[in-house]
Amino acid sequence: MCKSIFKLLSGNPNTQKRTTNSSISLISILGSIFSLLLLVRIILVNTSTRIYTPDFKNTPGVEYYDLQNYKGNKNGWQMGDRIVFCVPLRDAAEHLPRFFRLLNNMTYPHNWIDLTFLVSDSKDDTMGVLLDNLKSLQSNKDKTKIFGNIEIFEKDFGQIIGQSFSDRHGFAAQGPRRKLMARARNWLGSVALKPYHSWVYWRDVDVEVIPDTIMEDLMHHDKDIIVPNVWRPLPEWLGHIQPYDLNSWKESGGGIQLANTLSDDAVIVEGYPEYATWRPHLAYMRDPSGDPEVEMELDGIGGVSILSKARVFRAGSHFPAFSFEKHAETEAFGKLSRRMKYNVVGLPNYVVWHIYEPSSDDLKHMEWLAEEEQKRLEESKIREFYDKIWEIGFEDVRDKWSEDRMQVLKNVDPNKLGRNVFVDWSDTDEDYEQDEENLATESNSKDANNEEAPVFVPEILGEDAKLKADFNPDEV
Amino acid sequence: MRGVSEIAYRLRKSHIIRYLLPLFTTFLVISILYSRSNIEIGTNDLIQKHRWAHEDEDSFYFTYSKKFKMPAYSYNSKKDSNKNWLFFSSKQEDVIPQSHIAHYDLNKLKSTANAAVDKEQILILTPMQTFHAKYWENLLQLTYPRELIELGFIIPRSKSGDNALKLLEREIKKIQTGKKEQRFHKITVLRQESPSFNELGEKQRHALEVQKERRAKMALARNELLFSTIGPYTSWVLWLDADIVETPPTLLQDMTSHDKPVLAANIYQKFKNPDDNNKIDIRPYDFNNWAESAIALELASKMDNDEIIVEGYSELATYRPLMAHLYDQNGDINAEMHLDGVGGGCTLVKAEVHRDGAMFPNFPFYHLIETEGFAKMAKRLGYEITGLPNYLAYHVEE
Repeated sequence: MCKSIFKLLSGNPNTQKRTTNSSISLISILGSIFSLLLLVRIILVNTSTRIYTPDFKNTPGVEYYDLQNYKGNKNGWQMGDRIVFCVPLRDAAEHLPRFFRLLNNMTYPHNWIDLTFLVSDSKDDTMGVLLDNLKSLQSNKDKTKIFGNIEIFEKDFGQIIGQSFSDRHGFAAQGPRRKLMARARNWLGSVALKPYHSWVYWRDVDVEVIPDTIMEDLMHHDKDIIVPNVWRPLPEWLGHIQPYDLNSWKESGGGIQLANTLSDDAVIVEGYPEYATWRPHLAYMRDPSGDPEVEMELDGIGGVSILSKARVFRAGSHFPAFSFEKHAETEAFGKLSRRMKYNVVGLPNYVVWHIYEPSSDDLKHMEWLAEEEQKRLEESKIREFYDKIWEIGFEDVRDKWSEDRMQVLKNVDPNKLGRNVFVDWSDTDEDYEQDEENLATESNSKDANNEEAPVFVPEILGEDAKLKADFNPDEV
Repeated sequence: MRGVSEIAYRLRKSHIIRYLLPLFTTFLVISILYSRSNIEIGTNDLIQKHRWAHEDEDSFYFTYSKKFKMPAYSYNSKKDSNKNWLFFSSKQEDVIPQSHIAHYDLNKLKSTANAAVDKEQILILTPMQTFHAKYWENLLQLTYPRELIELGFIIPRSKSGDNALKLLEREIKKIQTGKKEQRFHKITVLRQESPSFNELGEKQRHALEVQKERRAKMALARNELLFSTIGPYTSWVLWLDADIVETPPTLLQDMTSHDKPVLAANIYQKFKNPDDNNKIDIRPYDFNNWAESAIALELASKMDNDEIIVEGYSELATYRPLMAHLYDQNGDINAEMHLDGVGGGCTLVKAEVHRDGAMFPNFPFYHLIETEGFAKMAKRLGYEITGLPNYLAYHVEE
């Protein structure tokens, strides 16, 4: 090809007719491709890109947005996609410092992150702590570390169920509780979302470990709705770790069957034996050494960390505060979004760690553990005291005895046979006679008999014993 | 036998087969062995030497295994990357409010019968495919204080949308750059992202087959408009179609005074009656305001999950009491009636209904779609739907 073009361009008079033909056809092909591209460009420019844009820059109180610009890109951190963080808060004062520390470490350009909070029914100083943290967050000297617009909303919904009640009747209380939480989420979502947002990120404050790149990690999958796996650490006596969020699941035949038997207002909740759904849960799909990029289609999702394209919420998907297909809140959000033809995906091997809050059973067990520890301590104190008394009140002869014992037992060792025991009787006869005399003369002295008994000195005794044996009290 | 000897002969003669065959065989054997060792645990590693993930990571609490690398993200801005010779720049920079900290107490937000006195904000929402001058005139003659009115428009991505937008822009500029007390509190104009709701022609607009698709698109447009514009200070939302050209000037005061969560006016149409010397006469227009009937419920129970019921088709005779037919010229203008389905022509909704999640389903929700589905959803959330059969708003004559 190149040769023929060269030949053509150099205008070699000897060029054969065949070559000329092929070069001409080549040129015509190139030309037609070029003109086709031009045509495509003209068509594209005329159809897709040339829509009318009004100019309201100098008109007060008027805003214009082309929602096509805010569909959400998979590399949003390069395209300047704005994310709105939606964080529902209730009695969260103790969790907020941790939340803001994690937030500040995020790698997504902070300027493009808008923060919105809903503070509801809080008995502690959630609002005060929130404002303090926001102030210090926004007074960062590094301008690139400052977040975008921040909006705080207050709205009390009232608590339908008391804490103690829900402890006792956990199962029955789940439905109304979930519906109430859904209302709170919807109030926040509806006021937080602005036309210029491309992504919406729902996040609970009580997250312990989360990668700094969480936004990019979730966003680059380019899904309408995506959730990570959520686990939580446990104390050692409970086995270290546990899947936490069981609201992320894929629908099962059992689940559908169960749903058909329930009344219109019933809410199925996972993790209760009353509602056995046999659904595959995202949490249990985790392979600790697996690829974090693996995706899993889901029907219901949990609310700890949801990244969603803003267009999903704009199109009307939300957290149903009524029983939608026998579900409510985040699980129903998943179902509703699926119904509206959006894809809902979970990452089984990519884990966010929720904090550990002990349940009432755990608290009981921990109380028991603490009691046991207390008992042990008291016991050891008493023992110490007794030990001291013992030391003072009794002489410890155990060391001495262990020595003596050897000496004593040595002589009664039945294992040594044929022992040659030599006894020197040479001077005993005299002694005996003497004794007879003494007995006769000093008959009133009773003790003398014992004192003058013959001394038995076995050969095998050591030097010491010999010396002792030689010791004659009479000589003193 | 002959075959074998021939193969042997070929092997001897052909160099390619002679060298390639053994090579290929060894490759095959190795690849089989290798793949097996990957599938079965313990073939390449003793089970005693197996290490759990947490032993390699030195912790139970790792977010993902170090065995795999996450992609390295580049933070170079690509905001202008869609500027190239083929596509030009398709993205126009919108003005986005700069950083601020705002604090709203939604507990104080109320929607009461005394809306104008209590200074409650009303958001008027209009999906607009054609701009009717009369619509705008009607909007301007409303007596509710303008500083309490916010307007929202959504415009389809089409030629007719362009035309409507141009006309709308001119009128908006006229009013917003005029006297301060004449201005509306805020106006938001949106260009639709979802498929245009007016792609279908006027004639086939009411054919049953296309009805479902058209209303699904319309529902999407309504939702996009609603959830982009509803603000923390909005107390009421009025859905006013772009082809509603005549309402009483006190429309907002009248409708809010009923203090109902969802309240629909009766939509009629003025026309020249050829039977009556071309005198102006009125006729019912919007049949989406209805109360439920046992027949319709029975009809729905027999339907597939994906089918919808719509009014005004002989194939689907529901015998529902339609508000459009219940207009009484001499009746009390404030008469109320209970409804189960509403249209979007002129419907006032308390903002809390939308905030609780009542939206316009773009899928069959209990066999209902768009505004009728919205009514059903509001009912599921525990709100009641009310209609004003004797309170008229007029649709433009087509």
